[in-house]
Amino acid sequence: MTHTIGIDVGSGAVKTALFAFDASGAPQWLAKRCERIRRRDPMSLAEEGRDGVLADAGLAAGDIDYVATTGEGENVKFATGHFYSMTTHARGGVFLEPAARAVVDIGALNGRAIYVDERGKVLSYKMTSQCASGSGQFLENIARYLGVAVEEIGPLSQTSQDPEKVSSICAVLAETDVINMVSRGIATPDILKGIHLSMASRIVKLLKVTGIKEGKALLTGGLALDTGLLAAIREEMGNEKVNVDAVSHPDSIHAGAIGAALWGEFRHRKLAALTERAVA
Amino acid sequence: MRCFIGIDLGSTTTKAVVIDEQQNVLGRGITNSRSNYDTAAAIAKQEALVNGRFHLFREKLSTTGALNGSLDAFLVQLERDFRLGQYLEQLVDLEATCRRNLQSAKFGDATRGVEEALAEVFRRLAVDAPALFAPGAKRKSDFFRDIAGSQYLATGETVAREAGIRYDFLLNVFDRSIIEVENRVYADSIRRHLLAALERAFVALPETASRRAAVEAPIKGILDTDMVETYIVGTGYGRARLPFSKEHIRSEILCHGLGAHMMYPGTATVLDIGGQDTKAIQVDPQGIVESFQMNDRCAAGCGRYLGYIADEMNMGLHELGPMAMKSTKTIRINSTCTVFAGAELRDRLALGDKREDIMAGLHRAIILRAMSILARSGGIRDEFTFTGGVAKNEAAVKALRELVRENYGEMTLNINPDSIYTGALGGATFAWRAVMEEGKSAEARA
Repeated sequence: MTHTIGIDVGSGAVKTALFAFDASGAPQWLAKRCERIRRRDPMSLAEEGRDGVLADAGLAAGDIDYVATTGEGENVKFATGHFYSMTTHARGGVFLEPAARAVVDIGALNGRAIYVDERGKVLSYKMTSQCASGSGQFLENIARYLGVAVEEIGPLSQTSQDPEKVSSICAVLAETDVINMVSRGIATPDILKGIHLSMASRIVKLLKVTGIKEGKALLTGGLALDTGLLAAIREEMGNEKVNVDAVSHPDSIHAGAIGAALWGEFRHRKLAALTERAVA
Repeated sequence: MRCFIGIDLGSTTTKAVVIDEQQNVLGRGITNSRSNYDTAAAIAKQEALVNGRFHLFREKLSTTGALNGSLDAFLVQLERDFRLGQYLEQLVDLEATCRRNLQSAKFGDATRGVEEALAEVFRRLAVDAPALFAPGAKRKSDFFRDIAGSQYLATGETVAREAGIRYDFLLNVFDRSIIEVENRVYADSIRRHLLAALERAFVALPETASRRAAVEAPIKGILDTDMVETYIVGTGYGRARLPFSKEHIRSEILCHGLGAHMMYPGTATVLDIGGQDTKAIQVDPQGIVESFQMNDRCAAGCGRYLGYIADEMNMGLHELGPMAMKSTKTIRINSTCTVFAGAELRDRLALGDKREDIMAGLHRAIILRAMSILARSGGIRDEFTFTGGVAKNEAAVKALRELVRENYGEMTLNINPDSIYTGALGGATFAWRAVMEEGKSAEARA
């Protein structure tokens, strides 16, 4: 039995997943944790996450063969190794949705579209660059200003009858744009839907650039559970005539952590083989 | 008396300036604009008129000599007490609003617990209020949203923990309610609060009680004087939304140019770093704009950048500058985007860099962006006037001085402590000119 932990330190939350692998290498997901950072120290949250999954699985730190970090987790002291987030999200995404040919990760600061094969190998990818417009943080800021809880965003957006057209706007100045909309008397659902559509258009553009032609695209990251965004992306795929089916998964937010745990097992196996050969 | 008013509807704050027929500044008022614009304009104007009344009190009382020697202490006491009265009234309103909004929130079984916690939070806030307005007390900000908000967050966290309810719920109720409360204009209660504060001032400063009649009469006299809004000019980002006709609107570039000229007649170049844009303006010797440059719709390089950083650090905007001044080495901030700079800040902190050094780096980043806008507008000429909210920030000013010296050599840098009111002053001056020089009268909205 091999046990690994994957820790995905994002800019909005720290996600942790614990896996067990039997002799054939088949993975079994034992425990997960997700903690919003909210201005706390991500490194101590990573430690809490590890302790949390260990407690949930009834294991001790000594039982773990590999602790793999990803995202901004390079500095986690107790980690065995670190993996680039593009590969972990790809692998984790395909684990959650084996039919996925693209993983679209929408996190607090970045968005990225990753085109993958059936094993989760990255074929190509595209990332948003130096501007947070359309990111998760952006949406959260707007919701906060509208006085809407994060869980309400999706359902509200879907009730919109007449989405307000929003061009790509600065994540920070968006607040004033939103005030303008509110003072013009535009309903909250129409504002949210307009913002979702503007985000969706960016995301679909990213996805198109990766070269994917058909199949499923799994949304991962903190915004994957936003049903309003998912609906907007589907709408935008239709408008842009992209024959890709956007789907989400209840555990989407854990994709990076899952991928890290899976890669951790892989590297642990390779290391073990090397050690054996060295001994022999 | 005839008054001329300029209102600068900015993105972060709304400013108003009232001047009299002799172009003396009577009063200045400011409020945060995170509410609807009509209200922000109404509140700023009201604040400026209140401030104008205090100005008139001072003027009158110093000529009558009724409070010789204790005039300053008396007026400070009066204003402090007046503000406390206003704060308490808004707090009561906020509690009622929170309770009402709680009924429509979907907290399920937790609702009762949240209701009890709310009552406790507001009980503590009311108890803590006098200390906030006590002599020498330092407030992060003078806006109700900020004062009540930071108090609510801190007290709410404690109460939520003690009561075993979710802190999120308390936050959510606050977020829903604060906008409503901010959007109410408490015009009716000003006179009442002032008179009540006056009574308490006599109690708090017993030595003044004997001169009661000599003090009360002029104050009441001024309160009864009508400050007539003869002509109003609106400017700023939200000017199109002001309830004025087109005749009463001027572009913010024009108002800033003229305002800077009114403050410093020698001004040739104006840099204004406001809440969400940065402007570089070249003016002629009459204060009329020759050319200008602005940044596009991006928070990087304007005041909102610092506001965002302050929120990230859980600090008041006023505290950033003083902290950056303590820096001993400059750290370069690589991110352009404000949100990314916020993330970079957190990374830097996690790596063990000192907060003051990072802050200095962030201030320099803003000024570097301003320097490129200035260069595009035609460079910096002597005299150089720096205005806008960021001009109040000593660390930004320090960075600007250094960069100006490096790039343009020595020159006069004018910074007025009231520079945040530059646009509003320009507006008030336009209002004055419209009536006194052009013989116009106020027009209703078209």
